[in-house]
Amino acid sequence: MVGSGVVLTSLIVLMLAWMQLRPAGPETWTDAEIDILRSLWIESLPPAPRDPSNAVADDPLAAEFGQHLFFEPRLSGTGTISCATCHQPERRFTDGLAKGQGIGMSKRNTPSIIGAAHSPWLYWDGRKDNLWSQALSPLEDPAEHGGKREQYAAFIASESSYREMYEAVFGKFPALSGSPAVDEVFTNIGKSIAAYERLLLPGRSRFDDYVAAVVAGEHKPHAALFSDDEVMGLRLFIGEANCTQCHNGPLMTNHEFHNTGVISFPGEVPDKGRVAGVREVLADPFNCRGEFSDAAVADCAELEFARTGAELIGAFRTPSLRNLENTAPYMHKGQIETLAEVLQHYNEAPLAMIGHNETKPLRLGRRELRQLEAFLDTLSAPPATADKWLTRPTRELAHNGREN
Amino acid sequence: MTMIRTPIILLTTLVLLTGHLQQQACAHGGVVEEDDLCVIKVNYLRGHFKIFQPRRTGHEDYCEDLPSATETVFIMEYLHESLADAAVDFRIIHDVTGKGRFARWEDVAEIEDLQGATVFYREPSIDPDVLSVVHEFTEEGEYIGIVTANVDGEHQIYRAVFPFEVGFTGYGYWPLFIVLLLAIQVQYFIMSGRFAHWRDGRKPRDRNIRASSLLLVLTVPMMWSGKSSADAAGEWVSARGIYEVSFESSLVPIEINRIHSWTLHVTAHGQAVTDAVLSVVGGMPAHDHGLPTRPRVTEELGDGDYRLEGMRFHMRGDWEVAITIEADGKTDTVLVLLSL
Repeated sequence: MVGSGVVLTSLIVLMLAWMQLRPAGPETWTDAEIDILRSLWIESLPPAPRDPSNAVADDPLAAEFGQHLFFEPRLSGTGTISCATCHQPERRFTDGLAKGQGIGMSKRNTPSIIGAAHSPWLYWDGRKDNLWSQALSPLEDPAEHGGKREQYAAFIASESSYREMYEAVFGKFPALSGSPAVDEVFTNIGKSIAAYERLLLPGRSRFDDYVAAVVAGEHKPHAALFSDDEVMGLRLFIGEANCTQCHNGPLMTNHEFHNTGVISFPGEVPDKGRVAGVREVLADPFNCRGEFSDAAVADCAELEFARTGAELIGAFRTPSLRNLENTAPYMHKGQIETLAEVLQHYNEAPLAMIGHNETKPLRLGRRELRQLEAFLDTLSAPPATADKWLTRPTRELAHNGREN
Repeated sequence: MTMIRTPIILLTTLVLLTGHLQQQACAHGGVVEEDDLCVIKVNYLRGHFKIFQPRRTGHEDYCEDLPSATETVFIMEYLHESLADAAVDFRIIHDVTGKGRFARWEDVAEIEDLQGATVFYREPSIDPDVLSVVHEFTEEGEYIGIVTANVDGEHQIYRAVFPFEVGFTGYGYWPLFIVLLLAIQVQYFIMSGRFAHWRDGRKPRDRNIRASSLLLVLTVPMMWSGKSSADAAGEWVSARGIYEVSFESSLVPIEINRIHSWTLHVTAHGQAVTDAVLSVVGGMPAHDHGLPTRPRVTEELGDGDYRLEGMRFHMRGDWEVAITIEADGKTDTVLVLLSL
């Protein structure tokens, strides 16, 4: 009896001590921390930067035409593959696969398009510097849409509703007698799809509501919006876990290229990433400086001052962290299936197979990793884009869809 | 006496053995461990060599011998630039030379049916950044890797030949090593008198620990106070005091992830410096990385002003931008510190 009394008393003392000593309420943020939270907030996202290489980037008629093209399977060698085959609106414009599956298997994981208009570089290796030339690339890739530009130009010419929409944006449809005319129509297909993609913007997530409450100075805003674990996860995210070194800004990406030592895809050599991508984009006839671009050379600063060199071996573009819940598997070839495993990877920061892993081991505990994961799950939200843009447009719209 | 003599004999044997192995590798291109780094020598051209079995052992790297017959990735990172321009082929053969670990190119050259012994071959190709090949081994055994580099300009063929084992059949020299280390340890323990100390229940105490912890206590605050505060405004003086630089950013305040330009104003003792050649590098010392772009002075605007384009910062935190100014044969560098 005496023994059990002692045990009970010790337990009570321990519990009281724990309640006293456990970290102070997670809900208090310093001014510097609030400043960081504000920088990650969706309300801090400026309008997408203008795209001088695409004269119709912000033309609503081009966006509407682009929406039709985006969902059009006849823009493929087989008549079965559209952009939406891999970029599925219901999966936040990804496909749930390790690598995209078109006619064949593509080289890398399908990234989301939401917020892509904000990125100076497209693709995991940044081998494109504008949305419209990115959109053209899969159309001719044998593993993706697998068609030819001549076929696509002839298709637009023969399909009266598309031809009409084309002419409303670009003027008279050219006679398809030579390759310059074909290239022109092909380029304009890309520019229209890009105008559509510019409308796909990230929506307000639970995290953004939480930051709104913090910024408004609400006392203990987390009680209603965020669990203790989510708040602690956010604290780690902007602090000890070093996430905001790369995942910064309202899209939670610095749009830059980093080697984080992700393992090779089964049966393949490690992907060289940016070091090869930067070479490709500099030589690309469809880049910002090329003859198909509407930009003056002075508008192509990112390309003009692009960094090259060995430190880009095995480096890939930092992806946005918004919508992680809907965009598994992760990494450039979908090598990692779950968020918990991704966090474990960064916790260990293993040796890179090629180049050098820029991250350092975090040495976080299991509980902390769970908290980080809980926080990352608060970043999902439907795009801030009207519903009519998120499905395949109806045929009627193709003829008299000028209502907006 | 015998106790001392045995380790000496062992040590001598080991030194002779490793000396022999080293010589092998140096004389004819191969793979060697140097300062914890696995180095492949294609004659005098050197590369950093790593082998992975990603499906079995993840990120663990091997230098030569491999634990199992599985998917294997061979990586060669160039320590010598000529390798980046060379057409390199990569061949793996069954060891049919019977020389095992001591096989050399001369032995490989004598193989009559090289094609028949080959289990993997990658045609010559130029890989400007890094060479990597993947091969799935289907059986354990002894193999020889042959890397051939054709350095075009010199019409020279260079080779590295490295025998290796897939699936360990023995432990190599490890047991010898361990026995030797143990013997030396035991001998030292007895000879140094520590055994006697230990037997007396007394532990030798290291006073240096106290001294070094005191040093640590002193240095930490010093490092802390030495941290410079950074501000975008103001004038910055070059290292040797020759030039002063101030700048105006086209983006105010400077935000991360947005490309922009600066106008630099360069003076020497207050006098505008014209016709200067400027170069700019930058980075975050705390994170060991440079700027995400390669900024450049694109125009001299007159009156000591220069347009610097292509500036972009991709993280918050402390940045350094080093501007080197060369005018009238005098060169000096200004370090601009920014806190974003």
